[in-house]
Amino acid sequence: MSGHSEILLFQVGARVFAAEVYDVVRVGAVRNAQEPELLVRSALGEPFARNRGIVVASHQGGTEHTLVVDQILGVRTVPESDVHPLPAFAAECLQSPSVTGFVLVDESPMLLIDLPTLVREQRASAAAAPSP
Amino acid sequence: MRERSEPDAKNKARKAAPRRGKNGVSQDADRLAAFVRGFAEGRYDARLDPDDFADPGLAAVAAAVNAAADHIVSQMRTAQQRVAAVGEGVDEAIEAMIRLVVQGDLSGTLRLGVTDAALTPLVAGVGQVMETLKKFVTEIREAALQLSTSAAEVLAAATQNESSTSAQASAIHETTATMEELKGASHQIAENAQMVASIAEQTLTSGRQGEGSIKAFMEAMEKVRHNAVEVDEAIGKLSRRVERIGTVVDVIDEIADRSDLLALNAALEGAKAGEAGRGFSIVAAEMRRLAENVMESTKEIKNLITEIREATHAAKEASDGNKRMAAEGEKLGGSAMHNVTGILTGIQETSDAARVIHLATQQQRTATEQVVQSMSEIEEVTRQAQAGSRQATGAASELTKLAERLAELVKRFKVD
Repeated sequence: MSGHSEILLFQVGARVFAAEVYDVVRVGAVRNAQEPELLVRSALGEPFARNRGIVVASHQGGTEHTLVVDQILGVRTVPESDVHPLPAFAAECLQSPSVTGFVLVDESPMLLIDLPTLVREQRASAAAAPSP
Repeated sequence: MRERSEPDAKNKARKAAPRRGKNGVSQDADRLAAFVRGFAEGRYDARLDPDDFADPGLAAVAAAVNAAADHIVSQMRTAQQRVAAVGEGVDEAIEAMIRLVVQGDLSGTLRLGVTDAALTPLVAGVGQVMETLKKFVTEIREAALQLSTSAAEVLAAATQNESSTSAQASAIHETTATMEELKGASHQIAENAQMVASIAEQTLTSGRQGEGSIKAFMEAMEKVRHNAVEVDEAIGKLSRRVERIGTVVDVIDEIADRSDLLALNAALEGAKAGEAGRGFSIVAAEMRRLAENVMESTKEIKNLITEIREATHAAKEASDGNKRMAAEGEKLGGSAMHNVTGILTGIQETSDAARVIHLATQQQRTATEQVVQSMSEIEEVTRQAQAGSRQATGAASELTKLAERLAELVKRFKVD
């Protein structure tokens, strides 16, 4: 179906974000996931309820990581015209490359997140941090 | 004199004998008889002449009669002289005694010029009378003195008695008035005691009603406690049922959650499949909506269960509170029953005591009335005694004056 995008809406804290459904392997319960695979804190913030986990495959495709979120709002089909890349100025201001643009859902703009990039950044950041 | 008269009579009788015969003897006898009759009639101076007698024997008799007459006359004169002397002596003694008595001087000894031995007893008797008089006067003087002293003492005592009687009468009057007041007070006390007995009786009735109410209250408390136990058991059952419902709801919730996940993943796969997965995505979305509805419902059920738990907990606490309150109520009821029993006993004793007081005060009132009556009689008697005391005081005063008068009179007699 050309001219449309399938996006997944999820909530971390008080904010709602969007992601391409192709970046999501599946959705699961956090309680069923193994602790090393969980990604609780990220650039999106820290979830309150931690009810759901979005299983994301790395770019290399070898491993899966679970991004812990508060809620999965659902899958929406939006027109391509409502999906916009980040303006150049905004992209320059943002440190993280995981935010790729924004999408209008019901006329409300939501940040479009590149989940594999987000997972990779967080993993790299965690690996660079001194161990306690 | 007799010796001188006898020869003359003999001679006269001898001379008369030869001249007269038998007639002469009769005459001589008549003459003798006439002489004796005349002597007996008091003609003491007449004498017979023996010479005139014819009979010598009668002449001798005549002479003897003359001699006897002379002797008798002589004796009579002697006796008359003695009588005169005695009479003078008696007069002297009486005059001397009267004089001493009139003069009041009994101190001396009565001295009389009487020498006649026949008057010696009289003189002695007069002297004895004087001594007796002196003794009497002395004793009367002493008695008058004592009488005066005693009369003064009697007067003082009578005066004191009159004063005491007056004071006694006043005291009796006051006592009578006080007893009258006491009688009124006894009457008032009797009425009050009757009222107390009546109130105590009413209180006793109310107390018994209260005792019945407390028994009913305790029975109600027992029922409340029993009901509270039953409610507690029902709450326990309810709580267990609610817990069971909660468990079932958790299971439903878990199922709904998994259904939601499944629906999400189905929708995700449908979206990934593109146009081919469109219908699949619609079904998945519907499933997800259903799962969300179920979760929403289970959430509401959980909220309700929470509310039921809280309400059950509150009901359990209330039930426990009811049990505690019922037990406390039973305890308080028992205590109240004990206290009411004590109060009833006290009220009964009060009622009995009030009745006894009422009876005693009635008896007291009767006794007081008798005392008042007696006091009135005593007051009357005391009034009479007071009048008698006044009379006694007057009599004692009169007696004192008489004793003084007697003493003055006795003082006139000098005995020392």
